[in-house]
Amino acid sequence: MKQSFTRMILLLAVFFALGEVMAQGSRVSGKVSTQSEGSPLPGVSVLVQGTSNGTVTDLDGNYSLDTGEGKVLVFSYLGYVTETIEISNRSQINITMEEDISEMGEFVVTALGITRDEKSIGYATQQVDGENLTYAKEQNVLGSLAGKVAGVQVEGASGASMGGTQKIKIRGVNSISGASQPLIVIDGTPISNSNFSGDDGTDYGNLGQDVNAEDIETINVLKGPAASALYGIRGQYGVVMITTKKGKKGSDVQVQLNSSVSVESVFNLMPYQNQYGGGSSQTWRTLPNGDKYVDMQVDESWGPKMDGTLVRHVQSFYPQDPEYGQLAPFVAHPDNIKDYYETGSTVNNGVTITGGGGNSNYRISLNDTRIQGVEPNTMLKRNNVGVSLGVDMTSKLRISSNINYAMNSGRRPGQGSEDGSRYLGQWFQRSLDMERLKNYKYDDGSFFHWNLRRPSSSTGELASFSPLYWANPYFIANENYSEDNRDRLFGDVGLTYQVLPGLKVSGFVRTDTYTQNIDSRAAFGGRGVPGYSIGKYQNREMNYELLAQYSKTWEAFSLNANLGSNFYDRNYTYLSMATVGGLSSPGFYNINGSIDRPSTTNYELNKQIKSAYGMVSLGYKGTYFLDASLRNDNSSTLPEANNSYWYPSISGSFVFSELTDWKVLSLGKLRMSYAQAGSDLSPYGTTSFYNVGTVYTGENGPVNTLAVPDNLNNPNLEPSFAHSYEAGFDLNFFEGRLGVAFTYYQQINKNQILNLDLSGASGYGSATINAGEIRNKGYEMAINGTAIKNSKLTWDIAFNISRNRNEVVELYPGIDVYQYGSTTYSSTTSYLNSYEGKPFGSLVGQAYQRDEATGKILLGGNNIPLYTDATYDFGTVLPDFNGGLQNVVRVGKFEISAMIDFQVGGQFFSRSKMLAVRTGLDPLTVETNDKGFNVRDDVASGGGVRVEGISSETGEEVIAYVNPQTYYGTVGRRIYEDWLYDASYVRFKEFRIGYNFTKDVLGNFPVENINVAIMGKNLGMIFQNAPKGINPAEISVGSQSIGWYESGQLPSVRSLGFNLNVTF
Amino acid sequence: MKKSIIIFSIAILSSACNNFDEDININPNAPSQASGTQLIANAMTSLPGLSSTTSGEFMSQYLSETQYVNASLYPQSSTSFYWLYQGPLMNLEAVLESDDLSGNEGPVANQLAVAKILKSYYMWHTTDRWGDVPYTEALQGADNFTPAYDTQESIYTNLFAVLKEAKDQVVPGTISNDIIYNGDMDKWVKLGNTIRMLMALRLSEVNPTLGQQEFTAAMQDGVLASNDDNLVFKHLQDGNFQNYWYGQIDLQGREWWALSTTLVNKMKPYADPRLPIYGNPNRTDGEYTGLVFGDTEDYDTEKYSLLGSAIHEQDSPVYLVTYAQTLFAMAEAAKIGWVTGGDAEAENYYNLAIENSMNQWGADISTLASFMAQPDIAYNPNTAVEQIATQRWIHLFMHGYEGWAEYRRTGFPDNMVSPGGADVPNRQIYIEAEQFNNTVNYNEAVQRQFGGTESLYGKVWWDVN
Repeated sequence: MKQSFTRMILLLAVFFALGEVMAQGSRVSGKVSTQSEGSPLPGVSVLVQGTSNGTVTDLDGNYSLDTGEGKVLVFSYLGYVTETIEISNRSQINITMEEDISEMGEFVVTALGITRDEKSIGYATQQVDGENLTYAKEQNVLGSLAGKVAGVQVEGASGASMGGTQKIKIRGVNSISGASQPLIVIDGTPISNSNFSGDDGTDYGNLGQDVNAEDIETINVLKGPAASALYGIRGQYGVVMITTKKGKKGSDVQVQLNSSVSVESVFNLMPYQNQYGGGSSQTWRTLPNGDKYVDMQVDESWGPKMDGTLVRHVQSFYPQDPEYGQLAPFVAHPDNIKDYYETGSTVNNGVTITGGGGNSNYRISLNDTRIQGVEPNTMLKRNNVGVSLGVDMTSKLRISSNINYAMNSGRRPGQGSEDGSRYLGQWFQRSLDMERLKNYKYDDGSFFHWNLRRPSSSTGELASFSPLYWANPYFIANENYSEDNRDRLFGDVGLTYQVLPGLKVSGFVRTDTYTQNIDSRAAFGGRGVPGYSIGKYQNREMNYELLAQYSKTWEAFSLNANLGSNFYDRNYTYLSMATVGGLSSPGFYNINGSIDRPSTTNYELNKQIKSAYGMVSLGYKGTYFLDASLRNDNSSTLPEANNSYWYPSISGSFVFSELTDWKVLSLGKLRMSYAQAGSDLSPYGTTSFYNVGTVYTGENGPVNTLAVPDNLNNPNLEPSFAHSYEAGFDLNFFEGRLGVAFTYYQQINKNQILNLDLSGASGYGSATINAGEIRNKGYEMAINGTAIKNSKLTWDIAFNISRNRNEVVELYPGIDVYQYGSTTYSSTTSYLNSYEGKPFGSLVGQAYQRDEATGKILLGGNNIPLYTDATYDFGTVLPDFNGGLQNVVRVGKFEISAMIDFQVGGQFFSRSKMLAVRTGLDPLTVETNDKGFNVRDDVASGGGVRVEGISSETGEEVIAYVNPQTYYGTVGRRIYEDWLYDASYVRFKEFRIGYNFTKDVLGNFPVENINVAIMGKNLGMIFQNAPKGINPAEISVGSQSIGWYESGQLPSVRSLGFNLNVTF
Repeated sequence: MKKSIIIFSIAILSSACNNFDEDININPNAPSQASGTQLIANAMTSLPGLSSTTSGEFMSQYLSETQYVNASLYPQSSTSFYWLYQGPLMNLEAVLESDDLSGNEGPVANQLAVAKILKSYYMWHTTDRWGDVPYTEALQGADNFTPAYDTQESIYTNLFAVLKEAKDQVVPGTISNDIIYNGDMDKWVKLGNTIRMLMALRLSEVNPTLGQQEFTAAMQDGVLASNDDNLVFKHLQDGNFQNYWYGQIDLQGREWWALSTTLVNKMKPYADPRLPIYGNPNRTDGEYTGLVFGDTEDYDTEKYSLLGSAIHEQDSPVYLVTYAQTLFAMAEAAKIGWVTGGDAEAENYYNLAIENSMNQWGADISTLASFMAQPDIAYNPNTAVEQIATQRWIHLFMHGYEGWAEYRRTGFPDNMVSPGGADVPNRQIYIEAEQFNNTVNYNEAVQRQFGGTESLYGKVWWDVN
């Protein structure tokens, strides 16, 4: 490797030397600066008119040039009005350049941090300003991209998770395996966006959230392989490029304080019935003395009517309880689930200091966030420190650095149907008083639970106070919590050397290093054996990068060329341990307290990628542009014979507005691109190994065991390839009053590296293979406009929408289905499968059996619906459209903004709803039937659920009434067809009203600017097809890349707050 | 320009450097070599899974559900056999296919013999539950992702041969790392022969000729001769190797299972000394009370006898192939004339079987004589077949799949019930994933056995009654 770097440097040196074109004649030098700020303007092309002789200004705006016979100098720079100056025998010419209004704001940061004129780019990119991302102070900044970028789908997590997983998909699912997370790059440094969450349990969120939202200048989303080609295999699912704010050279010190406070509360909870309480039968259970008691052994609400009958409640069985032995009315507690949630709060304080000296610039930011969650005993604390520096060591050598440090510590709620408090909406008694449960601990240290074994039928006393299926939710929150913390450092140090005018070479060392700790505890006095687990996960990712950038302009031609190499080196280790068989003493949470041999895992992963890449961009008359790039990646995870691969990209743009004089059209551009992208796999997938089993220490001593793993590795893997085509146009009318961007794309991913599910009879559950083809095609459109613009009022509107269609074209010979995942509950399994010839991600499960002729449901002997096996295809989970709409109105010094995002189509299974019905919590279980009776009334006297269908035995049509407990016992457990919901929604995502106090108001007050604002986020669902209480925008599957079933999702959280920003 | 493009290309080409440290992609977290006995030992740790499952208990109606009654109503849902192939069978196959087994762990021939016996046992269990299953084309990894299903008949025939081969290849010397018999090859040979003998008995209806031939041969080769020879998995007082029912009942607090009326009615009237082991007295009046299997109305934890405490201790063992079961088989063989001795010999085996069953379960045998003297229990030549089958079913308690297989073959006990009208199933349904992952072979197997549609009520080959 070292060798190759030396070689690279030598070659680059030769390359630089080519630019050394010397001419003889008189020399002119000078400085170019901006008219507006007077700051130096680097990179300005200075050309002797009528020749190809020219140069480019250096970082300080200085140039020096032999003019030969020339009489006139032409200064040109994209975004500025070209200046033509007569030399008139001067040797010193300093000029200022005026910004070209018509071309303002059209620079974008492209791959490798190269800033380019937007019109020269032959592929779609969409940039979002940092300001636009912090309006509503999203905890996980990636979540604030939702609805703002065409072609980007964000699947979020509830605010109750405090920075839970935000999944980003760009242009659909481009892998049959479902993997689709884009690369996140901050100031050129790729950072990890991995996730320590499982499918359920605590959602620790994706690590991309360590970026401090306050530091972000812009986020640019590189959507297709053409845009991200220079990132190679790491950019195969697109790139989210984050550029942070920087100080400016020669500017005054500016101090900015930012403070915000917000309160969070739950909304959109599921409705519950309030007529029948805990139990499995409407008949009262009685104690030996005849007292009725609430059946504390049953975690369902099929019990007696809550009519105030005097009964023994569960607390009356605790001898240490003041209510011991007493009767109390059996009544509903309509808000008993809502009462569990608290009002959360977020307090955020930040300071930034920016400024610059004559040859340096700096920005320092500090941020402190403290969140109290809406679930009891949950919190998150985060600190960010950001430092960005730049110093010109000499006129040609610049050193720069970005350093970000993030510290998180959290105590977060569990999610998923069996985790934490999530059972409340699924297995619970409507008759329980949450206020009573809140006192979960008696003075003597013993715990109060509600779900216990029944009292002895001889003594009437409880024999056991150990919780049966569920512990008191407050016990779980306060005793069985899990904690996590993470320290992270990421950033870069770089040197840039201006070798020659127009040619600079730079070297960067970039790192992303973190240590993540996670522990969890199961306390004495809860369910099962007490235990403790702890894991320490350490990751170090280094990128060593060399880049040469050359730009030159000859008359009508412009050339940009880049040549670079990158060495990626990742080392990841972890050590995780868990106690087995219990803990030695209460309150002592340590592996040392394990009763049996603890389970431990230590793990190490190493991966390297060596890359070289180049790009040439040619422009003609600012009208025709052509880009070509080529990248070579060598990945250590592929077999040696197949580990080097190449991929090219080519793109072009045609700015046709340059050819017309039609003033209305400020910009008109056509663009097209083609690119290939590749991908490798995780380490250790090409060689075979054995799993280590637990040691069996029996009477004859220890026996150690090893096992063949379930996945079959493959020594012959090849990299997979994606081919993408894209075409589109950008139109800009009335000098930016109206802009339209449209893109059509098609991406074909072939020969993918998949862990293909096998028939287990082959000896393996899956095999890593090259196979398959998946196609995505679609379009995206963004419209930006200023509806009203006058001295008093401006009204900006931004709208975007995208449509993606997906097809799995091919799988593996002999195998028609790729199984992405499955979920089993109560012995009923449903799947997310992909079939050849259909879109990715079909929901598959048990449906009603139907009569072929009429389509009516077939009923069994007891009039309960019959169901198919778990192979019924309900169709894809992928949405049809995604988009968003943002309005910003400025009236005087007020600024009001509001944003909605939406999705059309897509679907998911809701296990929460299914279980709420099955366990008698849902209002459906107390409906009035068509005879006017409550369905829970005795069937013989008019009650029961009306069931219509065709008897499978007689073939006759049947209308029958069935006991709801029996009916939903099957339908709410076996037949997923009924619990399948459309995922369309329109969400009121952000709202903000701000007021700006400027200097003219503040007068002598020693402050430059004060901005106050009221802000709200996740304000409500304007529309959803899914039943109330199930949020289709926050489907809970933790770290899974595809959201396809909802199971005990955390409640939706609304946030309202106040923000104060002071600039000194 | 031209020059720069050339150099540009050279620069890129020259950095195409694909040399990495040789072992960078070798997994440092797992061994790349496994010894024969390590793999065999791992396969042994799956043995409790053949018995410790609720569905087996429901098939044989040993246990009734005291709450959430549903799984015992015989819903038409599938059951996966993948874990058997991916787990124990693949580990054993890796031993059988290995070309570098080490003699340091005992004679290679003996390691292979043990692997063959265990593989046969797992395959026998698998085919008895589902019917035709992949066998000759199974466990071939990359060589065959979609193995065809073998007929149950051919699997039986093949396993008879493999078991004979295993017995014949054993040489003097013990093997190490053996959880079950601590390397004692005599016991492995007896186990292999016993499995062969019990398999042969399964053919009593479908092919008595072959059954008798294999039965007598196996018996002559030497079968289990005491409870010390039993194939039993000894759980430990260790959370890593604890009894399944302990985890369910004691750790998770699931008092979900009571003795069925079907079972209690065959034991309580005769004061069967095993009953206090099998179940606990109910908590209402201290009696042994069965819960009607599949009752969806009157289920409860207080009124009925829950699963016996001794059966869900942390280290309660799991009995798989036992001496008493061997004796019951020989009693039946004598009765039906497969082996000589007639009723006298049958009675002798029958009495010995019950006595050894009592001993195995740790029952109080002080009342054994009076128990055996009761008219329904004492050997009666006229009802011997039923007596043997019923007592065997009682003995096989908790080994639900085996009790269910014997019920399917013999039709006893005679008091099995049909919850909600659903009879005791005849087989289990293949996992749906086979329809996706092994479509052609799955369809062929279902067509061949059941004419295209499978259910719990298709019959396996040997089940002809």
